[in-house]
Amino acid sequence: MDEVRLLQDMGLVLVAAAAAALAARPLRLPSIVAWLMAGLMLGPILGWVVLDPATAKEGGVGLAAKIGIALLLFLVGLELSFRTIRDIGAVSVLGGVAQMGTTALVGWGVSRALGFPGGAALFIGIALSFSSTVVVVRLLEERGDLQDTYGRISVGILLVQDLAVVIVMTVLAGIAAGGGGGVLSTLRPVGIAFGGMALLVVAAFGIASRLFPRPFAWISRFPEALLVWSLAWCFLLIFAAGLLGLSLELGAFLAGISLAQLPWAHALRRRVAPLVTFFLALFFVGLGIQMDLGSALADWSTVLALTAFVLLGKPILLLLVVPRLGFGERTATLAGITLGQASEFAFILAGVAQGIGLIDARTTAVIGGVGILTMGTSAVLIPRSRRLYAALRRLRLLRIFRAPHEGRRDRELGVGGPHGPGEGMRDHVIVVGMNALGRAIVQGLQSRGVATLAIDTDPAKLEGLGGAQLVGSADDPEMLHGAGIERARLVVSALRIEDANLLLAWRSRLLGVPVAIHAFDPSVVEELLETGVTHLMDSKMAGARGTAALLGARGIYG
Amino acid sequence: MRELALLLLAAAVAHGVALRLRIPAIPLLIFAGFGLRWAAPPPERFLQEALLLGVAFLVFAAGVELDPGRARARGGLAVRIGLVQFAVLGAGGVATALLFGAGVSTALWLGLTLTASSTLVVVRLLQQRGALFESWGRLTVGVLLLQDLLVILLIPVLSGLPEGIAPVARGLLGTLFLLVLAGAFYRYGTPRLLARVAGDGETLLLTALALLFVFLFLASTFRLPLVTGAFLGGVALSGFPLSGLLRGPLSSIRDFFTAIFFVALGASLGQPTGPEWMLALAFALLVPLLTLPVVAWSAERAGFSARPALMAGLLLSQTSEFSLVAGLQGLATGQLDEGVFRVITLVTLLTMTATPLLASDGVSLRLLHLHPSRRARTAEGEAPSGHVLLLGCGSGGMPLLETLRLAPSPVVVMDDDPRVVAFLRESGVEAHRGDASDPRALARVGIDRARVVVSTLRSAADNHEVLRAAAGVPVLVRVFEERERRWVEAHGGVPVPVADLAASDFLQWVDRRGWERPDELDDLEAQETI
Repeated sequence: MDEVRLLQDMGLVLVAAAAAALAARPLRLPSIVAWLMAGLMLGPILGWVVLDPATAKEGGVGLAAKIGIALLLFLVGLELSFRTIRDIGAVSVLGGVAQMGTTALVGWGVSRALGFPGGAALFIGIALSFSSTVVVVRLLEERGDLQDTYGRISVGILLVQDLAVVIVMTVLAGIAAGGGGGVLSTLRPVGIAFGGMALLVVAAFGIASRLFPRPFAWISRFPEALLVWSLAWCFLLIFAAGLLGLSLELGAFLAGISLAQLPWAHALRRRVAPLVTFFLALFFVGLGIQMDLGSALADWSTVLALTAFVLLGKPILLLLVVPRLGFGERTATLAGITLGQASEFAFILAGVAQGIGLIDARTTAVIGGVGILTMGTSAVLIPRSRRLYAALRRLRLLRIFRAPHEGRRDRELGVGGPHGPGEGMRDHVIVVGMNALGRAIVQGLQSRGVATLAIDTDPAKLEGLGGAQLVGSADDPEMLHGAGIERARLVVSALRIEDANLLLAWRSRLLGVPVAIHAFDPSVVEELLETGVTHLMDSKMAGARGTAALLGARGIYG
Repeated sequence: MRELALLLLAAAVAHGVALRLRIPAIPLLIFAGFGLRWAAPPPERFLQEALLLGVAFLVFAAGVELDPGRARARGGLAVRIGLVQFAVLGAGGVATALLFGAGVSTALWLGLTLTASSTLVVVRLLQQRGALFESWGRLTVGVLLLQDLLVILLIPVLSGLPEGIAPVARGLLGTLFLLVLAGAFYRYGTPRLLARVAGDGETLLLTALALLFVFLFLASTFRLPLVTGAFLGGVALSGFPLSGLLRGPLSSIRDFFTAIFFVALGASLGQPTGPEWMLALAFALLVPLLTLPVVAWSAERAGFSARPALMAGLLLSQTSEFSLVAGLQGLATGQLDEGVFRVITLVTLLTMTATPLLASDGVSLRLLHLHPSRRARTAEGEAPSGHVLLLGCGSGGMPLLETLRLAPSPVVVMDDDPRVVAFLRESGVEAHRGDASDPRALARVGIDRARVVVSTLRSAADNHEVLRAAAGVPVLVRVFEERERRWVEAHGGVPVPVADLAASDFLQWVDRRGWERPDELDDLEAQETI
């Protein structure tokens, strides 16, 4: 075993990923762009790293990169609860299909004009029609715009695109199985691939909806086991997809979406996310290292032309489509700016397509170059989208896109309608740990008319409680963010876990939110006070007072 | 992907069965690996990579949990007891291995693998029993952290030993350098890192993982075992609040790799032979036979009473995931053969499975009857009567005692901690050292003649004994959870619902303060709490 080589490769990639992420923070670049840049620096630019060809494909870093893609799709699938689909379904499907269709068509035309052959041009058009879920969701979340109408539409369109990616993957799998024969010999495996997909969908949803609810409800009380069970399901479906000649991405996505319907899916998402970060960083830095930068630079004019198409063409097409679905120019403009980049899936699709001979290395390099440039530009534009919209409005450039009845759906959809339990909450009290103390506090606050959000890792402990609820760990910043900790009037922890309490107190004080912590033992008090807690709940002292009162009632004391 | 799917499927089954049977998952994960090797053996290269990454992340996560600052503040006694146990177990292991005909080098490795107890298993059991913050619970955790540290420090020594003194000295110097580096990062790097990326979990996680690989690289440069680098890389990040910020994301990665690691370990082992089983059984018996008396005796000498000292001994009576890590290192250096490594794995498998059964209330109560203090005949004095009997005067009982002393009835206290008893006697309180699970001790403090009994004991078995011995005297029992309240009521006691009372205090605070200026620390209440 060449263990030193494996650790060396993985170590270099991770160190580069971390350094790039740190360097990218002041520039507010999304991490994916930073990772790709790090890979480009390590590989094509400085030539410091050449990944071991054996491990780059099957073992070590290569396998880790594959796991990264699989877990990313598993995570995307986990986001797709039927409720999310219902809320924004019709708008997203219409908007998404129209946007993808027009972008693919225009992209095909632009690519043909740039000299690409028909097949490659169509592929470029399709690949560039997708926008980056990771970049957009990350930036919208940072800005708190996920619940704005444009944010919800953008996410809806992205989810439709994710579904379309899966279909494209299936088609590519069919083409791969068909080899280089005629149309029939290509269509037949495509048909078989769709048959396999239908079979997998029925099996995945059948098992998840009929067999999983009870055992998973039980195992969800144990976070470690829940993670292992869910990942086992994910990789089993990947394995099954492989047996049916389908892509691993499809298997992972189906595993995610089949589990997304179960009540603890959001807790699972938070557990899977760090694994995605780890494996995806390996994937993207590795991709950068292996990227054919020479070809992209040799084709710089093509890359720039396609980049301009994505940055300008996509928003313009959305400005044409979205107002015709009843939305106003503000929603259309902001959604257009938000979705004006290529997707990480463009890299993945290009890799698969090149593998089966559908496109050549030059096309892959061009798509890679366009991806990096558009993601980087988007990361700069999205945080400034409102200012950009105001400028465009002042210049009266948006008038040409106006449609009848525009803005009607903005009013219907509104800005509210929270997705996460805490996302629409303000001045609420977050209570962590639903032991007897936590439950009594939640019930007491509710009886006083205070809005509460109860959190516990065990869904069973949340049963029967009113108010908003979240399943998850108080250690998890994403979960606290989802609980709206920044807008809470008070955070309370009833936990009897010293480390979790200390961290929660520290985080709350950092955000300037008052915090009351259960001081369940005198030995934990000093450190809690050092973090600056607002109030300590001393249950032992309360017990002493209660005992004295009971003794008093018996005439023994007082 | 097929191999990963099978490994995870095996891990999922193992986790499910372990939870159902209420035993630690690690033995079942290894056992699932055995099964996988038999049903669909994964390729050797895949297993080796899974083991390598699994060890790195497992040991790294353990390092992140070891906060030297906090350990130092709490662990003087744990260090003394831990060192005694480490020395006795190590010597016993080496002697037994030599007795079975092993070479010196093999015997030393075997001895080292017996010295560590499982942090993963013991901390979970302590949490399940709500004893993590009992004084004996803290002692046990302190001993565990010390063992992990000692094993990690000794692995490079044993690895270099066959090549002579120079490699050992080089190994020690290299370890010292990494230790200093970890300390420097702990002290100076942590605040800077926090200032830069405290709010960005993703970058923080990547930076932590990058640091792990930097330490792995340095360990490899100094020709140290990789586990030394991984552990010290973790220690570098173990300060608060950094370790807390990392705990969530790292736990996902650790859980994934731990599951893969133990299954891969099982899958990479061949079928144990008869003599290997015999040797493993001998060592598996040796672990509790030495650990229990050594820890219990040391803890009692340090002032603990018999019951908690016994519980600490029982809980520490297993070998550790670090034993497997050490064994793998011995295997990698060629000093151990696969047969010996199988023995080490079997010992871990047997002792970890036995721990929840051994460390039960039932076993500790039976062992108490064999304890010299119970067998010795004690002079029976006149038991008090008409008194208020307070059972347990730790952090829960002390505030109550202050109040009870104002009552007209005399107060008698029984506690199992000699230091508490001595302190109370010095303060003029009638205090007796004794264990509530011992009916004779309860009789000595006149439980059936008391006016009222107040129990602050946590153990249901102890409270059961108290309620039985009280024979009609009202017994007030502190309870936290609803199910405890129902249990006490069903057994004739009067529950004192601590959680409800604390919630009521909190709600009064809310009502009193309102929401206008809740941001200030309530100094008065904080001082009261202190």
